Parts: sequence; structure tokens; C-alpha cells
Amino acid sequence: MIQAQSLTKRYGSKTAVDSVDFTVQPGRVTGFLGPNGAGKSTTMRMIVGLDRPSHGSVTVNGKQYREHKAPLREVGVLLDAKAIHTGRSAYNHLLAMAATHSIPASRVKEVIELTGLESVARKRVGGFSLGMGQRLGIAAALLGDPATLILDEPVNGLDPEGVQWVRQLVRHLAGEGRTILLSSHLMSEMAVTADHLIVLGRGRVIADAPVAELIGAANRNTVRVRTPYAPELAALFQSPDVTVTQSEADLLEISGVAAAEIGNQAARAGIALHELTPISASLEEAYMALTQNDVEYRTGGSAGDPAAEHRAADLQESVR
Amino acid sequence: MTTTVAPTAPSAAPAFVASGSGLSFAGLLRSEWIKLRTVRSTIWSYATVIVISLGLALLMSSTLDLQGSMQVTEPEQTSWMIQVSTFGIIFGQLVVAVLGVLSISGEYSTGMVRSSLTAAPRRLPVLAAKAIVLFVCTYIVGLISIVGSYLVATPTMAGKGISASLADPDLFLPLMSAALYLSLVAVFSLGLGTILRSSAGGIAAALGVILLLPTVLQLIPADWVADMMPYILSNAGTDSFVMSGTMEPWQNILIVLGWVAVSLAGAAVLLKRRDA
Repeated sequence: MIQAQSLTKRYGSKTAVDSVDFTVQPGRVTGFLGPNGAGKSTTMRMIVGLDRPSHGSVTVNGKQYREHKAPLREVGVLLDAKAIHTGRSAYNHLLAMAATHSIPASRVKEVIELTGLESVARKRVGGFSLGMGQRLGIAAALLGDPATLILDEPVNGLDPEGVQWVRQLVRHLAGEGRTILLSSHLMSEMAVTADHLIVLGRGRVIADAPVAELIGAANRNTVRVRTPYAPELAALFQSPDVTVTQSEADLLEISGVAAAEIGNQAARAGIALHELTPISASLEEAYMALTQNDVEYRTGGSAGDPAAEHRAADLQESVR
Repeated sequence: MTTTVAPTAPSAAPAFVASGSGLSFAGLLRSEWIKLRTVRSTIWSYATVIVISLGLALLMSSTLDLQGSMQVTEPEQTSWMIQVSTFGIIFGQLVVAVLGVLSISGEYSTGMVRSSLTAAPRRLPVLAAKAIVLFVCTYIVGLISIVGSYLVATPTMAGKGISASLADPDLFLPLMSAALYLSLVAVFSLGLGTILRSSAGGIAAALGVILLLPTVLQLIPADWVADMMPYILSNAGTDSFVMSGTMEPWQNILIVLGWVAVSLAGAAVLLKRRDA
């Protein structure tokens, strides 16, 4: 279990992580999401004591990371693929890491096999592709058979097969009762890998909820209705709780009413419907809506459209 | 804990509990030994020190011309043998200074240091283990170079009427000092590399202290500067085995140890305080 309490990191006048509180539970995969510069990596570095918090604290299984007698057995961490000396072979890197905790060479061979590095284990890391570097980083994280696994962008640079392998691996490890904290920019990947999400934006936690709940909250009961009698149908749903937008002559998007209710009302009024489709939001949309106001480095100069911002505010409210 | 209790989510399995061997200083020493011997720069540096030493000993002993002086006193003979055996160390110190810097700056430039410090989050034991391993390895390489140089030079020197026995403390002790100085230069440079966290900066600083500092000070015509000269790292170091200075060898070694202590103390404070 990882617990952060008013965890804060300031670099000069810039606050990278702003009084963050969260708990990462064992036995499930927790996704760590947020735009670039949201403070994910900084938070992860603070968990393993590489960066010193400006304020607050973070503990792993009740103790600060550096207080543990066997840090590598407590936490396995992949921070970025570049945390490895390029002049050393993969095998020797793992051997040196293992030696600190008297982990036997047999375990080094095990993690090399597990991560599929047998063919390149004796080669110098400098010549590794991004994907190979990631596999080696994951091998190093698994070395101590740790109770907690922290992986920063583990699928970055992996091929589709590797992405699937990481997904199955972390799900398997979580099933063994381990604590898994995983960051990724790939929302589609998170949707199928994570059970729970912590979303960071501008150094603050903007959502901390199960994946299903986040997607559900983003859904907002929007239904797409196609009918030749669009104005007549729209007139049936004039209420402050319901928004009706007409995107084409025969196409309406109605929010705030269930699809069945729309169908019933249309039937009662004798309006023929050609299409009646509940629109379910993807995690991607939920994420975009959540982080709309919290993107540190926005592309282009335009602000988001007001409707989306309104939706984001609602969503943040609902998941808190 | 006084803070809010997190909601207990139903988990499929009971929380996994870590088990197995833990972090130890012996483990860190072994780790640093593996790290040192598995990068090419170490092999190249040490090989260079040995080759340069033997080559220079051979060159110096064969070109040495005593200009017809028939009889060389015994202390003079010992002094010649010391000079021939340790001549390579003057150059070797520059090589091990580079190695000392690289052994830590290589970790900073590649990001390896983050792996090292997550394995040993208290940090200072990493620096200590690195210093010990570097010291021991460099001392052994120094001894090989110096004793090797002695052996290489002995036949030619004997032909010129100069000989000294390794069993003679007057020869043996200065040779040990020279190896000690060489390994302390490596550790001193390790400290500088840790402080500066950069290969280029660390090497420049180490070579600056060893080479440039005595040269620049020599150019300043002031008495107090002249008084400082024996306290410069490389002067004190060479004085400890060629006995050219006014101080006892152990005093020279203490001065060198002072430089090492300052460098390591600075490194320790910054390593502990800074974000990695």
C-alpha cells in the first residue's frame, strides 16, 4: 500500500506536486494518469526517495521507502528506461543490482527469461532499442520479487505484443495481492489494464475513482436520435435538466434523459425514430474532460469550448 | 495514523508480503565491484596505468646516464630505484583521476545513479562502498605497476651498478606510499565527480587540482605561496615517496588524506541533500 499525505514538491517558484493525498491499494492495478507536467513522475520519484518532498510525506507499507531494510524487495520501480549504465551488459547491470540485496544470480536469469531478454542479455545496454530498454527496466523492477511495483510509462516503446505482455503481467501480479501503480498516456491501455485511476492535473489529484465509475460519470446519458421530425421531438424535451442539440437536420443529441424514455415519449407523440443510440464515453473522453482545465502544456492558443469545460467541472464534482 | 482511512477495497488476494535477503553493506561492496569491473573504462584505465609504468621504467632505466661516476652510495642507489619504479605513477595519477571521476559521473550521465540510489536509498553507503572498492582496486593496480616497474628496471640498473632489495624498508615503504597515493587520488576524484555530477567538469577539476594548481602557484612570486607548495595534493603525494620535501612521508600522506576527506565530505553532504 502506498499512502501520500499532503505530498508537495516545489522547484523554485513552480509547484510540481501540490499537496496531494492518495492511497494505492494492494491487490489491484492503479493507473496514474495526467498530462505532461502534471507531476506523475515527480510523485513516483518521491515515493522511492529520489526526490525529497518539499512538504508532506509518502509511505510504502507504513514506512518511508528509505526506512525499509530491503528496499528492492519492498518496491520494484521502473522510472524511465534511461536509469541504466549504457556501457554495461544487461546481465551485469542486473547482477550488480541484485548483489546489493544478496539476490542470487539464478533470480537474475529468471527475470531475464521472464522479460524475454535472453538473446541480448550479454550485449551492452547502449545498443538497446527503446523497447529492449523498457524490458530491462521491468526486469530490474521485478528483481526483488517486490510487494509493490511502480512503473512509469512501461509500455512506452513496446510493440503490441509487449504491450499485451505488460498488461497480463501487471494483472497477474495484482492478483497475487501486490500493489501496482502504473502510469501511462495510453488511455485505451489503461481502460483494459487498470482497476482504479488516480488522475493528476497541474500537480493536484483531480480524480481518484474506479475506472468504471470514471467512464460512467463521463457518459452523462447522452443519446443520439435520428428522426425526420427533429423539431417536434426536441419540443417534447423542454426542461432545465435536459439539453438538446441539433447537429444535422434530422439528428439530435439529447442529454439527461434515458434512451427508453425518449423512445416511449416519441411513440406516444407518434414520431417515427430512425435511430436511437446511447453514446458511451471512452476513458479517453473521460480523461480529456477531466484534464481539460489542467493541461500544463496546451497545444495551440485556443481555450477549450465552454460546453466541454462545463462538462469537466460537472465530472470533477461527480467523482470526488 | 491520524489521517483519513482509505476505503478498503475488496481485493482478490491477501496483500503480498515481501520476503528474502535484505540490503547489506557487504552486498553494496559486491555490487560496486561488479559495476567497476564490468565497464570498459575501468579495464582501459588500469591497463594504461600498468603499461605506462612498465614502459617508462624500461625507458628511464635504459637511458639513465650517470656520467661516469664510478661509485654510487647505497642511499643514492635506493633513491634511483624508487624514482625508476614510481616514475609511471606521475602519469598514472592522471589516468586514475579520470577513472575516479567516471566511476560516478558515468552513473549520473546515464541515469544509472537513480537505480543505485533506489537500491540503497540511504545513499551514503553507496558512496562509501564505491570509495572502498575503487581504493582497493587502484591500490592493487598501483602495486602491480610499481613492483612490475622495479622488476623490469632491475637488470638494466644492475648493469649500471645500481641495485636495491625489495626487502629493504627504505625501498619497500616508499613504493607502498606511491601505491597508496595513487589510490587516494582515485578516491579524491570520485568525490569531485560526485560533487560536480559531470564527466567533463569532474575530470577538468581533478586534473586542475593535480596538474594546474602546482604550476600556477609556482608562477606567483610570494613567500606565503611558496610556503603552501608542500600542501598541494600532488606535491604532498610525490613527496611521500621520492622524499624531495622537508616533511616526513607520514605527514605527506596525512596531507593527501586531508584532500580526500574534504572531497568526500563535500560529496557526502551533496549526495544526501540533492534530488537524484
